[in-house]
Amino acid sequence: MEEVSGYIGNFTITIRKKARYVDTSVCNACAECANVCPVLKPDEYQMGLSTRKAIYIPFPQAVPCSYILNMDDCLGNNPIACGKCAEACEQDAINYDDEDELIKREVGAVIVAIGLDVYDPTEMDEYGYTRYDNVITSMEFERLICAGGPTEGHFVRPSDHERPKRIGFIQCVGSRNPEIGRPYCSNICCMNTIKDTLLLADHYPDVQCSVFYQDIRAFGKSFEDMFQRSKEAGTRYIRGLPGDIEEDPETRNLTLIAENTTTGQIERHEFDMIVLSVGVVPPKDLAKISGLLTLSKTSDGFFMESHPKLKPVDAPTRGIFFAGFCEAPKDIKDSVCQAGAASSRAGALLNKGQVQVEAITSVIDADACRKCGACAPVCPYSAIKWKKGEVAVVIEAACAGCGNCGAACNFDAITMRHFTDAQYLAQIRAILAEDPQDKVFVFACNWCSYSGGDMAGISRMTYPASNRLVRTMCSARVSEEMVLEAFRCGAPVVLVSGCHYADCHYINANRQTVKRVQRLWNKLEKAGVRPERLQLEWISAAEGQKFAKVMGQMEELRKTVTKEEIEHAMEALKPKPRKAKKEKEAAAVTG
Amino acid sequence: MATMENFKCMMCGYEYQELVEEGEDKERSCPKCRSNSIRHLKNRPSGDNTDGKSKKVKQ
Ligand SMILES: [Zn+2]
Repeated sequence: MEEVSGYIGNFTITIRKKARYVDTSVCNACAECANVCPVLKPDEYQMGLSTRKAIYIPFPQAVPCSYILNMDDCLGNNPIACGKCAEACEQDAINYDDEDELIKREVGAVIVAIGLDVYDPTEMDEYGYTRYDNVITSMEFERLICAGGPTEGHFVRPSDHERPKRIGFIQCVGSRNPEIGRPYCSNICCMNTIKDTLLLADHYPDVQCSVFYQDIRAFGKSFEDMFQRSKEAGTRYIRGLPGDIEEDPETRNLTLIAENTTTGQIERHEFDMIVLSVGVVPPKDLAKISGLLTLSKTSDGFFMESHPKLKPVDAPTRGIFFAGFCEAPKDIKDSVCQAGAASSRAGALLNKGQVQVEAITSVIDADACRKCGACAPVCPYSAIKWKKGEVAVVIEAACAGCGNCGAACNFDAITMRHFTDAQYLAQIRAILAEDPQDKVFVFACNWCSYSGGDMAGISRMTYPASNRLVRTMCSARVSEEMVLEAFRCGAPVVLVSGCHYADCHYINANRQTVKRVQRLWNKLEKAGVRPERLQLEWISAAEGQKFAKVMGQMEELRKTVTKEEIEHAMEALKPKPRKAKKEKEAAAVTG
Repeated sequence: MATMENFKCMMCGYEYQELVEEGEDKERSCPKCRSNSIRHLKNRPSGDNTDGKSKKVKQ
């Protein structure tokens, strides 16, 4: 995918179809080309355990069953250099001048299913993956034991091609390890190892398997049964991850040193081969796809879904759905379930033929727009189209109504339906019209903080009654002007509150909240106003307790603000004359 | 590339340093009081009393 434009129901996608240099319509996969090709390269599909030619079929089950020429490896068509495959091909299928093709497609929905990459254990030097031939990864093990693998299913160890009799498996290599930045569980490795031990017990009953683990996670249907069968087949499960592996230079056997956490003893175990049960990592293309489709990531690097419980296959950007590993590590069954759900969600959308547009969207006043483009980059949905020298335009079907653009516009050109600037200014003034010195002024986002207040209420928690809440759809709707206005009206303390980073209902709009609050702290300080009078908190809908605690802290803070400080802020933060228009509107709303 | 940056908790006043990865997207909270009111202080070279903006020095 090279380019994406449009929005739900109306995406235009540009796809690069890479040159294959072989005409699939005439290639009959006779292999004459590969037989004469002089180039040898490590075979990626066989994990580099065997070689392929520059012209090859990527893997036996590939569709179409046709050869492909890798131009990075090929010596070229120059007869002096090579050109042997073209000579050998009776079908005349090889075309050295083939070029990449750009294909445009109009689509209504997009399903992202870009899979995973496998963790490279090179950095975990204690396991000696790059130093010892007989330390292999679980992926390499898979190829070695497969009938279609480089050894045609004859299970041998790399150093001497002898069949190993004692095999150690190390779990959680690249998973559940915050020290290497991978704190998450990869979900599939425990069951994969259990399956491997059963496979070995079935093929080679004389093989002794030992598994070193921190926890065995066998929670799927029939998984516990498989685990028990593995133990009954003689596999030893030793709780504790190894600290070191040593190799005997003569026998090439490996000694693994680990603390058995069940007995508390340091143990040494000798093996003929060690298999590192490697975890999974987000695919390397994830960042590119995320940029093209304006998707965000969770802290572990996988795609973030719209809602972890209620919308687990929807992306926050409407019309985009997830299937499989790219959203989170999961096994085949869960991937198939999610893929079914994603295609159903997309099917329902397409069959409906129309989409319901959010009622709360932004509208740009073309006359007031100064064409500065400040609104476009802050939109988490890329719903604002702007070109230099042109008025910005909102694509309503893509707008989710966070109001971030309205807060970013310095020229009052953006109105957010149902939550206008004028309405907010009127609310701020009305709330602070009487005894502002006794009030804590709070902006609370609709989805989290405001609901956190509700939670505190229905849980009958007590907190000071001094706070006055104004609801915004997103904390990013709170403009600098709104905060300054509260101080001008005599608020001793202003709190801006929103969703935690991982919960932001508008992808990542609340990152703009942080930027605005940072700028406001600088502005307040410059104006001689104590910046601590402005506070920022992330309060989720479930955090009633945090809401109550924060309200208590705000009240304590309020008590420290003197009358002189309030008066100074009211004077020092006086509006610039440019705001006159908004003033008028606010006055009209207040009546 | 990661750089050491200065932060100040606007709730309890605690000042601390933390490694910041380029382009990182991380929710911050005070190591002492857990408040999210974390002000990112601009790094100032020692002895520099400017507001962080570079100033031309007259030769
Ligand atoms: Zn603090």
